[in-house]
Amino acid sequence: METQNFEKQLTEMEKPEIHNLKHEDILSGAIINAKDKSVVSWWWLCVPIFILLMLMMKSTFMPGTTLISNMHDLESKQKLISVAFFLVSPLILIIINVLTIRKIHFLSGSPKSLSFLEAVWFNILIIAVSAFILIIYSL
Amino acid sequence: MNFPWFKRIGIFFIPSTIAGWLILIAGLAFAVYSFIDIDSRSHSVSDTLMNFVFMCLIIGAVYSLIAFTTSRVKRK
Repeated sequence: METQNFEKQLTEMEKPEIHNLKHEDILSGAIINAKDKSVVSWWWLCVPIFILLMLMMKSTFMPGTTLISNMHDLESKQKLISVAFFLVSPLILIIINVLTIRKIHFLSGSPKSLSFLEAVWFNILIIAVSAFILIIYSL
Repeated sequence: MNFPWFKRIGIFFIPSTIAGWLILIAGLAFAVYSFIDIDSRSHSVSDTLMNFVFMCLIIGAVYSLIAFTTSRVKRK
């Protein structure tokens, strides 16, 4: 009798279900954090992009000058600004965004799908623009 | 202190508390002050605008950094 009851209890017993997965929370938090970071990175990248555009305009309207020569001119006149916005800031942004992408890649189980790229495309764009600024500065 | 002070909408951080609004107002006040300062020293309209846009971008970058650091919710 007792065994039957126990069997009945076993059949009625439900599997334990966790509706809110901790890992899911961590992943969604990491994706939101990555978006916030990419927005802050974008604001910090706007400054060197603006300077680059101004230098491009200068090289267009001033005959005999190029973007690179104007960049060297800026570097000699405004050493601190050029180092801060064309070297330190892009390097920090590249490191932060690479670490963020790595974290999301790790948390989402190393996927090789388009949905992962959709989640981090803005961070990748930030890395590409930062690298471009670094290349321009190093020329 | 109650966090988050800001919520992000697109590329802008919108204040959601009084502290956030105070930071935004301080940023705007500094932008107005820098415009007056730049305008008093510049030689043309384009000179004023170029320097002012540069200053606005720096203010925006610092504001977004402050907003980001004060918008993070601590995980339990």
